[in-house]
Amino acid sequence: MARVSVTDGTLVVEVEGIDKLWALKSRLEIPLANVRGATIDPGMAHESRGIKLLGTHMPGLITAGTFRSHGDRVFWDVKNPAGAIVVELADENYTRLILEVADPRATVRLIEQAKRPA
Amino acid sequence: MGRPRAFDEDEAVQAAAGLFAAQGYEGTSVDDLVTGLGVHRGSLYKVFGSKRGLYLAALRRHLDQEVLPVAAALAAAPDPAVLLTRAVAAYDGGPAGGFLLLAAAERAPVDPEVAALVEEGLAALDVAVATVLGAEEPPPGEPADGLAGILGATVLGLRLRARAAGTPPPAEAVVAFAGRLAATLPQPPRRA
Repeated sequence: MARVSVTDGTLVVEVEGIDKLWALKSRLEIPLANVRGATIDPGMAHESRGIKLLGTHMPGLITAGTFRSHGDRVFWDVKNPAGAIVVELADENYTRLILEVADPRATVRLIEQAKRPA
Repeated sequence: MGRPRAFDEDEAVQAAAGLFAAQGYEGTSVDDLVTGLGVHRGSLYKVFGSKRGLYLAALRRHLDQEVLPVAAALAAAPDPAVLLTRAVAAYDGGPAGGFLLLAAAERAPVDPEVAALVEEGLAALDVAVATVLGAEEPPPGEPADGLAGILGATVLGLRLRARAAGTPPPAEAVVAFAGRLAATLPQPPRRA
């Protein structure tokens, strides 16, 4: 599970609990300008993970860490696919983040509204 | 970066417009899009950024390919009866028929970019109606002439009811209504 918040034009992703150990990463900060969008996507969990670069993949239990797929670097932190969202990035180390969050609808709305010009 | 797209972007956007028109934004999952468009999930995110990004592209395409050309053609109708009949038959039609109305009801209230696209489509209809009625086009940003707005709303309402009923509105009823309406209207000025 990940906690997603927006502070001062920056998207902050905090990997919660023991997932930090599996992902070998606890926090990501992305300028909102480099966030292209966010989407509720439980079906993402059925996609191939590609090659694990750093982290953990136990099929059916947890995917956490950095994977390479079709030339993209993808960060995963998903145990229950029902809560999965996809955050697409530009000009970042990662091409996209695939995160399990407590309330996917609210998190996607938060990101979309934060990106909206005031 | 720099790799060629593995799919035809315009075809994908058209297919997405059809899905969104049939199932709505919330009712169309990324799984539906991946299957319906025949593209890889990764490519979909890479090109459009998000489901919302694809939705905006699909609505933009529906406006450009269907709504705005039809509205422009409607402006050439000889009288309000013909205008109304043609508008009810074709406005917001095509492969993604009803997409504009659905977007107006579902997404425009919560997404300002969708609201702007919907407004562009509705304004084009109002301008076409106003042109046929011989009214002055309203200055940008101001509401259309009252009568043009009412006729435009009639078109939207008839299309919505037709969608709910699953059948096109009976042409004779539209013509009869338009005929009665036309009889009550001042004749438009003759145009060369």
